[in-house]
Amino acid sequence: MATQEKVDVVIVGAGASGSVYAAVLAKAGKKVVVLDNGPDWQTSDLISSDIWGRRIKPAGAPFLLEGKHPVSMGAQGGWGVGGAALHYFANFPRLLPNDFRIKSEHNRAHDWPISYEDVAPYYDKVAQEVGVSGDAKAEELWRPKGQTYPMPPMKTFKNGQVWLKGFEANGIRLVPAPVGMNSVEFKGRPACIYDGWCHVGCPIGALANPLVTFLSDARKAGAEVRAWSTVTRVLTDASGNKVTGVEYYDQKHEKQFQPASAVVLAAWGGQNPRLLLNSAAGKHANGLANSGGLVGKYVMTHFASGTNAMFDEEVETAMGTIGAQYMSYERYGKTAHQGAFGSTFIVAGFASKVSGLGGIANTRPDLFGADLHAFMKRAVKNLARITAFGEEQPKIENRVELASEKDEFGMPLGRIVHNYDDNDAALWNANFEEGLKIAKATDAKDVWQGRGAQPTIHFMGGTIMGTNAGNSVVDSFGQTHEIPNLYVAGPGIFATAGASNPTYTVFALSLRGAENLAKTWSTVAG
Amino acid sequence: MDAMERRVFLKGAGMGVLAFTVGGANVLMTPGEARARGVPFRLLKANEAETIEALGETLVPGAQSAGIAHFIDQQVSVTPGEALLEARQLNVKPPFVNFYRAAIGAVDKASEARSGRRFAALSTTDQHDFVDLMRQNKIEGWQGPAGGFVYFVLRSDAVDVVYGTMDGYESLGVPYMPHIAPEKRW
Repeated sequence: MATQEKVDVVIVGAGASGSVYAAVLAKAGKKVVVLDNGPDWQTSDLISSDIWGRRIKPAGAPFLLEGKHPVSMGAQGGWGVGGAALHYFANFPRLLPNDFRIKSEHNRAHDWPISYEDVAPYYDKVAQEVGVSGDAKAEELWRPKGQTYPMPPMKTFKNGQVWLKGFEANGIRLVPAPVGMNSVEFKGRPACIYDGWCHVGCPIGALANPLVTFLSDARKAGAEVRAWSTVTRVLTDASGNKVTGVEYYDQKHEKQFQPASAVVLAAWGGQNPRLLLNSAAGKHANGLANSGGLVGKYVMTHFASGTNAMFDEEVETAMGTIGAQYMSYERYGKTAHQGAFGSTFIVAGFASKVSGLGGIANTRPDLFGADLHAFMKRAVKNLARITAFGEEQPKIENRVELASEKDEFGMPLGRIVHNYDDNDAALWNANFEEGLKIAKATDAKDVWQGRGAQPTIHFMGGTIMGTNAGNSVVDSFGQTHEIPNLYVAGPGIFATAGASNPTYTVFALSLRGAENLAKTWSTVAG
Repeated sequence: MDAMERRVFLKGAGMGVLAFTVGGANVLMTPGEARARGVPFRLLKANEAETIEALGETLVPGAQSAGIAHFIDQQVSVTPGEALLEARQLNVKPPFVNFYRAAIGAVDKASEARSGRRFAALSTTDQHDFVDLMRQNKIEGWQGPAGGFVYFVLRSDAVDVVYGTMDGYESLGVPYMPHIAPEKRW
């Protein structure tokens, strides 16, 4: 094993959270290396095609996905520099105050060790940093006041406007959806052209993916990004009180050791616990930061209840962004639906492309042959959709663990076991019922929903935050309770899932954690 | 990738051009062109390709001539990291050819058990009825990946080659609207 030159910090993963840590620490004068297991994508690689867009999705199978509701890693995860944030929808709703105190207010799940007020300044900072379009004042219907967004809301299209009547009839207020996209030119990045290809990556930089935001800043500040570098273990010193760096395999599959004063695990949410568990050594016999046995536990996802509507008029189905035009927190209260606990976040109006998992053809997966063709001819112009995201409650049984089978580097595969319970199903169904009511109150000719398997959207938990090693893996900054110079970043540290798309919160928490690491550097890693 | 390569690549991507092997050399063409030129299959056997074409045509009219078998054959012959198959997003474990072989085998075995003929030899009506049962996991004695999953994956492939390209969008009368190629990198 060759040993690389020692750096201040090595970051595992060049996605949303890793790019924030890289930017903050490089700007603070630290020598930063970011290791990512996939290609070094450039924005010019982001082809406008559902077929070619699959190149930026996970390429292998390092996880065995089990349970009644297996997590959808292939669709949700990323691969290569930029991570899943290279193809995220850039919906930027934030968590609300009630998300942080479920235990206190409802005696369910657990509280976060911080409050909304601790995170809110970082939501505002991220908005100014990467660019958010929206109407913050309008959001104050449901959340505390904060800074205004740096850009006005995005344009709306008929595929969003046709829903207004249905929501109003059901007493659900809509406001412009906040998105990490440019409604106008921002910091030299152009305004969005509304062609709806966001989900396969935005090559013009109108969407705030890491390549054009934090990772670009990090590189300018001197951070080195090493693609095709697969980390397999975090190493500790003889005392077990400090990590000393990471072991990884380079593009030639040669083993390397990257020494560092601090390690930040910012890989996919399932991969971080896999790494911690595979790094068992000395006094950490069950894996790093795992004395409480909680590494890999409390995996959470969101479930979407989608409603489709076909109109007589053409509704500009292909136009807009994949991110939403309108959003509502009207059902975000944990008890908003009788008999189904948890928050719901609703979005309306988004571009629909022809093919792909979320494309038009899959809104009627039962159709094939001539029937499918007839449907497609109509739907490409007359279809509009809404989605309600539901919050899964954390369950310790939903977990990441090591399997006996190994990958090409000899590292045990991860096994992710995930099941929803009756409450999750009840909330999913309640959101379907409400979606149907909304759709029927529009001018739609036909309305329908696809209730197949309950979907598993986004990936959270597995390395949750809390107050001590007995109830969590990391503190509110992402610092592991047991090893001060080992951090974990990303949605894995969420204590509960909320119902909002997670990446805005990932950016905010990562900024908070990275700034704290820079501020406490001399005691943590000095 | 320089600007010229980028433009060529974009054009190729939109048209669905892939690298097929002709006379030992890689030639860029669409799967439909590869079929029309009789490009030999890399991994699929003739009967496997025949089943895929028959299934594809049943799922989405036009899939056969759009080259669904050549598309899948080319795609299962490249590394998982290069593959553009929907299977990649559906947690199918590489190598993807294993899934397709198991799926095709399940279809033909079930078809022969039901009617004594492989799927490609069924009448159009019988093919439609078979697929309708398969998608609902209602074929008795089915052996292999779940029928509903086979339906979903193969249907996605057929949708890709028929509707998912620039030509496909045009045939549906909807603008493709590719992004502007960036002038520079960030």
